[in-house]
Amino acid sequence: MIKIFLSIVGKELLAFIRSWQLVFMVVYAFSMEVYIAGSGIEIKPRNVAVGYVDYTGGGMSQKILSRLHSPEFIAPRRFASHEELSKAIFDKEIIVGMIFNPEFEKEWHQGKSPRLDILLDATAAAQAYTTLNYLQNIAFRYSNFDIPLEISTHKLFNENADNHSFMALTEMLSITTMLSVILTAVVFVREKEHGTWDIMLLMPINPKLIILAKTFSQVVIVMAGIVISLGFVVLGMFSTPMNGSFWAFMLLSFLYVFASAGIGLFIAAVARDMMQVAQLSVVVMMPMIFLSGAWTPIYAMHPVLQALSLFSPLRYYIEGSESLFYRGTEWIDLCPFFMGVTVVGGLMYWVGFRKIGRLF
Amino acid sequence: MNPGVIKAYIVKELTELVRSRLILMVYLMPTMILFLYGYGIRMEVTHARTLIIDYDQSRASQRLIGKFEHSKYFEATVASISEKEAFRRIRQARADMVIVIPESFEQRLLQAQRVQIGVFVDAAFPSRASTMESYVQGVVMDAASAAVPGMSEGMIRLNPRTLFNQAMRDEDAIVPGLIGLVLLIAPAILAALLIVKEKERGTIFNFYASPISRGEFIAAKLIPVFLLHSLNIFILFLWVVYLFEVPFRGSFLLYWGASELYLIISISIGILISVITRTQIVAMVLTIIITIIPGFLYSGIIMPISSMSGMSQIEAHMFPVMYYNHILYDIFLVGQGISSDKTEIYLAVLAVYAAVLAVLGTLLLRKELR
Repeated sequence: MIKIFLSIVGKELLAFIRSWQLVFMVVYAFSMEVYIAGSGIEIKPRNVAVGYVDYTGGGMSQKILSRLHSPEFIAPRRFASHEELSKAIFDKEIIVGMIFNPEFEKEWHQGKSPRLDILLDATAAAQAYTTLNYLQNIAFRYSNFDIPLEISTHKLFNENADNHSFMALTEMLSITTMLSVILTAVVFVREKEHGTWDIMLLMPINPKLIILAKTFSQVVIVMAGIVISLGFVVLGMFSTPMNGSFWAFMLLSFLYVFASAGIGLFIAAVARDMMQVAQLSVVVMMPMIFLSGAWTPIYAMHPVLQALSLFSPLRYYIEGSESLFYRGTEWIDLCPFFMGVTVVGGLMYWVGFRKIGRLF
Repeated sequence: MNPGVIKAYIVKELTELVRSRLILMVYLMPTMILFLYGYGIRMEVTHARTLIIDYDQSRASQRLIGKFEHSKYFEATVASISEKEAFRRIRQARADMVIVIPESFEQRLLQAQRVQIGVFVDAAFPSRASTMESYVQGVVMDAASAAVPGMSEGMIRLNPRTLFNQAMRDEDAIVPGLIGLVLLIAPAILAALLIVKEKERGTIFNFYASPISRGEFIAAKLIPVFLLHSLNIFILFLWVVYLFEVPFRGSFLLYWGASELYLIISISIGILISVITRTQIVAMVLTIIITIIPGFLYSGIIMPISSMSGMSQIEAHMFPVMYYNHILYDIFLVGQGISSDKTEIYLAVLAVYAAVLAVLGTLLLRKELR
């Protein structure tokens, strides 16, 4: 029994390694993709492009502008007239435009409240908001009034609000989902397409064993990918904090990969050829990835989507992993995540198992 | 080019697509993605679960708490629990933020002594943490200026005017960009397997042996997908304008033309992948990797291209989605149309892009056994 199991696993692994294009793709996805997502993208407003028109002689306006510095802002660009500034905003070269009136300086020195006109490109809402907030703070600082109130903010678990490691981690989790679903589905559908699956089921071996061995082989591949990705990219290059237990994460990952292999099994049971696998897996995966809370927290979503997200094992996996990496949550508090992954995954697996294991 | 041959091939491809029930997916997938993301993605932070620990219990602290309770950005609850317990809730992901108002808060304020309000934000989700932080500042500043009359005297008054999206609706900022994402992913995935499928099954030999030329073969593979997905351009438009109520300020003709051009690009990406790969699984994974992730990152939905740095800036210019989305946002929210030089340039870029991809696919396709 064990021998049969191992030989099927070995056969699948060999088939995987023989296709160099596929091996390359998996390694690439787990290393370069994670790296690109982690290094390039910063959702936090940064490098905001600011433009201004200065009808005053300088002085006060320059003082204000000098406070807009990197990394939050690109050095403000000067425009000769209001029209030119508007055009640049319309062409999306500038996100925030400031217009200093001719009276700005004079009114400031007279102690009146000078008006500062600001144009915001609201399609980049986050950047626009933050800049406005920033300018508000500058305005406060230049006011004569001093409020004795301070806000001391502590960013828990991730002091610098470092986006890189976060993006890299979520990217790795998304890729894990994608590959474990697709690879598993393909292993079965390939046999279906070639017509060898019926023969497999007719053999004097328990079909459950074959299915289990086949999925297990793909789980092994994905787990290897996770280890590579964690070691070289997530922990290696982005130095993501690991506040929780490493083994808890590995166990959670293992359960999760098995659960998404169950989804792949389900897709394989429904699909008749690769075309259908491709379409179905995108239709299943896109909601899973984007309802998982990786991009938008779940409580901020539409209520219907919130309810749906309960069925996504990725939701539990991502929350669990975030807790493990950043929050350093204890084993006992992780129970809901383990339970969620296991229950949802087990259900998927059971359905797929029933459906694909039947001959007729 | 022999139109008769191409036509026969197209009929064959279309029949295959319809028979395998894929036709359902062709129309289901784009709509589904649009709905999910349109309703699912929220860049704005609202209802941040906030625990307020009030050690002062004075009028001033009550007033400050009231400000938080009335803000739509926070879902504030005053909790009489220890700080340790509050942190534990963050750790369990049951709260996002803890605000601690210290003892003798009011007293010190009245005596104009420095007071510190402690704000503890869960930064496991960094971008949201920064946003929440700035909201807290806003609320506290607001409360302070309301409490002290005459404080705005002599201060610079900001007069902000938001362009394109006056109501600051998240839908307006996100949904148009989703068209660019959807029309990149769905056609590419449909097209990606068309040729490699024949390679894996061995039917590609029919093509090797037949007198059909490479260009005709590519055209025959491209046109059915193009026709099927052209309908999606209209379907998506209807959803965006009537369901999500995004304004439409440009010309429909420009929208249609640019979208068809973009469609050719995404199908050509799929076909190019299909030409260079050997097995369907590789083609599938490759298509998903190079469409979904860059499509999302460089669409301008989560971050404007002008704010990207170095490598990402270059990469963003390498993918077609940036150009198309610029035109899309212009059509929906701005309405400059082709009167703007930038739109014209970007249209030209898209045309060149489409041509290069189609030619590359044709050149790389082999017509003999390797």
